[in-house]
Amino acid sequence: MKAIFLRILSLPETFLSCLIITLFALISQLDPSFLQWEVQRSLSSHIWELAIIAIPMTLIILTAGIDLSVGSIMSLSAITAGMLFQAGSSMPLACGAALLTGTIGGFLNGFFIARMRVHPLIITLATMATYRGIAEGISQAKPVSGFPAGFTRLGQDEWLNLPFAAWLFLIMFVSVFWVIHRRALGLHVYAIGNNDTASRFSGIHVDRILIGLYTFSGFASALAALLFVARRNTAKADIGMGIELGVITAVVIGGVSIFGGRGTLVGTCLGLLLIHETREFVSWHWNRDEFILIVLGLLLIVSVVFQKLLRHKQNSS
Amino acid sequence: MNHTDDTRKTSGWLRMITYLLRHRAIGLFLFIGLLTTVVSWINPAFLSGQNLRDIAVQAAPICIISCGVMLVLVAGEIDISVGSMMGVLAASMGIMVSASRAQLPPHVAIALTLLIGIGMGLFNGLLVAYVGVPSIIVTLGMLTALRGLTEIIMNGAWITDLPDEIRFLGTGTILSIPLSLWTTACVLAVTIWLIHRTPIGRRIYATGSNPQAAQLAGLSIKSIKLFVFAWTGLLTAVATLVSVPQLSVVDSGIGIGTELLVVTCVVVGGTSVNGGVGTLSGVLCGVALMTMISTVLIFLKLGEHATYWSRAIQGLFILGAILADHWISNHKK
Repeated sequence: MKAIFLRILSLPETFLSCLIITLFALISQLDPSFLQWEVQRSLSSHIWELAIIAIPMTLIILTAGIDLSVGSIMSLSAITAGMLFQAGSSMPLACGAALLTGTIGGFLNGFFIARMRVHPLIITLATMATYRGIAEGISQAKPVSGFPAGFTRLGQDEWLNLPFAAWLFLIMFVSVFWVIHRRALGLHVYAIGNNDTASRFSGIHVDRILIGLYTFSGFASALAALLFVARRNTAKADIGMGIELGVITAVVIGGVSIFGGRGTLVGTCLGLLLIHETREFVSWHWNRDEFILIVLGLLLIVSVVFQKLLRHKQNSS
Repeated sequence: MNHTDDTRKTSGWLRMITYLLRHRAIGLFLFIGLLTTVVSWINPAFLSGQNLRDIAVQAAPICIISCGVMLVLVAGEIDISVGSMMGVLAASMGIMVSASRAQLPPHVAIALTLLIGIGMGLFNGLLVAYVGVPSIIVTLGMLTALRGLTEIIMNGAWITDLPDEIRFLGTGTILSIPLSLWTTACVLAVTIWLIHRTPIGRRIYATGSNPQAAQLAGLSIKSIKLFVFAWTGLLTAVATLVSVPQLSVVDSGIGIGTELLVVTCVVVGGTSVNGGVGTLSGVLCGVALMTMISTVLIFLKLGEHATYWSRAIQGLFILGAILADHWISNHKK
């Protein structure tokens, strides 16, 4: 009984839920007006792009990989859509091309990582510079704006009281959740993260799965880029600068081990919620953006230290 | 007869290419030589003393920090917090010496800046070595947190009134060579001495190439890891001291993106992220190549639009270095 209790207690999700409840309790003491539905809904528009990229990032980190190039893929996709639109192509075609660009970018990452067995950190560091460099080169760092209303509505329209981007995230979350927990593929992802070599010998198509995951990450980044462009009505090469750090922070705070094999999608969602609410509340209540960075950085380190201590306790008991 | 001759010839070529790629420093050095020849043929002004000096001064802080980050990678860890450390160090140095702020004497301020650098490095190292948090997480957290700290220290203001003694660190010359280049030479000499002439250098390589074996051999892996992070912190402070006074204003954006440039230079220079492998000469060539790209693009007279491609070319160089490594491991006999 005590063992089960300790086990539940030592789950990162439990720890995170406690943190989130504490945060909400603190907020309701300090500034209850922040918790109104209208305020929450209008502030939520910032998080969906990050959340959409966090889903494939969770899977990639579960395989002991990492994708630093997501922000640069966003930039390249946004610029592809922007330049095509400026050259006079129709908006659906431009969007299709942007999604294709992102998918190809992700595929190339996966191809290099799986086929050359190079550390994902290095490959995606290289493509991070390359993709953003190409975006800067073809756009000459100039912005493109004036997109048609039919497209920008994607970034603002709501359906059943939730923004369009939120529905995209929910659909993606549910389908990936189903694949991870109800299909063999999910087990394979965890297996790769636990022991890459053993997975290969067990007949798991490691290369194929890795290429698939990085391609998915590229596609999701392109999708996030389109949502961002639609929301801001501007495509520029500096889009998504630094977003990879936010995404990785959310995933790791969510209890996904950076060494792979341990963590859940639910944890990532809790991590996203914690980061989002902390960030928005700090800037809502104190109006000081510089505190956000300190709080997020310390939150990342402290939560990993805590999770480590809890696991240590569980193992020793 | 003919047939065997042909194969011998091809394998001779292959062996030469493989040799150049494996000895990264030699390969990179030849490549830099080739690039310089082509550029100076198109535009002789590239080889002017002033231009070479500008490139060297621009490369100096990157080179100094790379000496530290290379050892961190060799020890099997990574440090991506150096950009934000530079921000904190520049801001605190500015506050300490500025005539309108703390007005500390320059030598005290320099000593304190170096201590702050070591302190931040020790903090990274303690969390990695003694608490056991993965280094990429610790330094990612520090990258974010220290940038916030910089903004709090600066509080939206700029510092422009650095005293002349501090300005001298950035713009002064001894024997008509900039002080930052002398400092870089000293740092390189100390690092070479550290790697080749002291036990700790060998221990860093041992730790990175096989931690278990190093542990069994009686090495204290923890203190070695602590040392490389503290060393990186110290070198970041040195780089800040010689590069920031060159700027006319100290603001909260100093050092953004430096961590990526440094890791790129170190990796292009042939240092492995898996630890245990890396040479200082390779890193030096990596720094030279990465920092000369933007200047090369200007001197090639391709027009203004070409300069926007410098990041893409940097990225392609890293991909090229990775492909070279892949080629070597396929042709290893």
